[in-house]
Amino acid sequence: MTRRPRWLSGIRLVLLALVVTWSAFPIALVVLASFKPAKMIFDIPPRLFFMPTLENYRSLLQAWPEFFPRLLNSLIITVGTTALTVIASSLAGYVYARYRGGLLTASAFFMVVIRMLPPIVITLPLFPVANWLGVMDTYSLLIALYATFFVSLGTWIMKTFVDQIPVELEEAAFVDGASLGQTLRRVILPLTVPGMIASGVFVLVYAWNEFLFAFIFTTTRAKTAPLLLSEMLGAVTGVDWGAVFAAATIQLVPILVFVIAVQKYLIAGLTAGSVKG
Amino acid sequence: MRPRLLHYLLISPVQVLLVSLILAPSIYVGWLSFQQSSYGRATEFIGVANYLTLLRDPYFWRALLNTVVMVNIVVYGELLLGLGIALLFVGGVPWSRLMFSIVIAPYAISEVVVVVMWKYMFEPQVGIANFALRGMGLPEIEWAVNPIHALGLITLLAIWHHLPFTFIILYTARLGIPRELYEAAAIDGSGPFQLFRHVTLRLLMPAILVALLFRYVFAFRMFSEVWLLTQGGPARTTEVLAVYLYKAAFRYHEFGLASATGWAMVICSFLIALWYMRIAYRRMFAHDT
Repeated sequence: MTRRPRWLSGIRLVLLALVVTWSAFPIALVVLASFKPAKMIFDIPPRLFFMPTLENYRSLLQAWPEFFPRLLNSLIITVGTTALTVIASSLAGYVYARYRGGLLTASAFFMVVIRMLPPIVITLPLFPVANWLGVMDTYSLLIALYATFFVSLGTWIMKTFVDQIPVELEEAAFVDGASLGQTLRRVILPLTVPGMIASGVFVLVYAWNEFLFAFIFTTTRAKTAPLLLSEMLGAVTGVDWGAVFAAATIQLVPILVFVIAVQKYLIAGLTAGSVKG
Repeated sequence: MRPRLLHYLLISPVQVLLVSLILAPSIYVGWLSFQQSSYGRATEFIGVANYLTLLRDPYFWRALLNTVVMVNIVVYGELLLGLGIALLFVGGVPWSRLMFSIVIAPYAISEVVVVVMWKYMFEPQVGIANFALRGMGLPEIEWAVNPIHALGLITLLAIWHHLPFTFIILYTARLGIPRELYEAAAIDGSGPFQLFRHVTLRLLMPAILVALLFRYVFAFRMFSEVWLLTQGGPARTTEVLAVYLYKAAFRYHEFGLASATGWAMVICSFLIALWYMRIAYRRMFAHDT
């Protein structure tokens, strides 16, 4: 390879700086602003150097104490959704990888196509039905809804991961007299942990951040953190930006750290779930 | 291997969720779209009247136009930016792991927080982006009063939010192209532009199609960004289809009309998917012969 001319490297660095600014600036702005004294939040130009203060976090605690139980709701719903999705997807993904049949092919096709449906469409009939069943404003309703929209991707990811495990391993276990349950638990499961993480990552991020279903199907008990944030943003008394930034920072930092930590699985899952599907 | 009853049981959790929470409700919506329905009244069959009402409603056309224009700008904007950034990364960047983490960071952010960020930057008078625009002698973005500005801002924040998805798909696909292909083409005397056109673009095409399909289908259902920023206002000028549906159902309680909107959205989504599969099929045949 010939060496790049120096001016080209220069241009590439400038472009990279632009890309990084574009991605990071809005996030950094909000996180930094959450530690600024309230009167500095709209200073122009924004101050990079200031005495960090927890003032905004205190005012969040005083004006919106509700935020913390809502955050806990989000956590419970996220954990429940991820568990349900990973378990259901693993079972189905294994079958789709190892078995063939007309009904299976048809159901796999159905699984991929039905996911194209816009979620808002189903809110119409589900609203009265949820009321009637008494599951309105409960964790289980949101968990089931969130999982439903991610089991297709999850199953597909699991299928591609199981596809990579040599079938001889199971056949050996079957010959040794192991049941399907034992084979799944002892042979397949340990080998598909990366696939489970990959299929869990997407639904975890979605459940933690989701707005539409939470907005329509929760009112008090199961209300999630993003929903409360939207209420803070729409407060009739005017937006208390300091408290909003504090809440936004608390909501975004854990999931941002998580996404960066598991980026390997994010890439693996997207490759498995989209390019091959 | 042929499946037995046990194996059908293993796929049943997934299928039960999909059938009970997506298929059955959407079929019911289809039925409801031919009924007159509101609170405290028995439903009554009225044929395609809801669809005709929809076609006569200028707000529906406005919402459809807004959706189609925004979706196209968002999807193709993401494609161009995502491709550019992917190629920049393939060429090698310093601290590549850190840089990669920064570029995918918006994926982790909730729609609500995205709106917080962009609203803060574009707050009338005091937002930093409006300050920068003034500094460059440009007019401010008045998203609260000017529908075009509001739609522009929503487009911008949607691109920001979903760029990581397109970027990751294109970047990993580009990494999958063997270096030998470039070397061979270079030996045959191809210049940089020809290499890009005949090797990079051609081999990336399946990944580009996948990114386009998914982003079309997902951008088409856009709701939260619009709802949180403008609620479709001022005077219903910034509505998109999902917001129009939401208002028809939960504000005006016209469930038949909302269902017709829902089915219009479903049909559009499937048409997009169909269009994609057609191209994918053609490409496969082109490769076979």
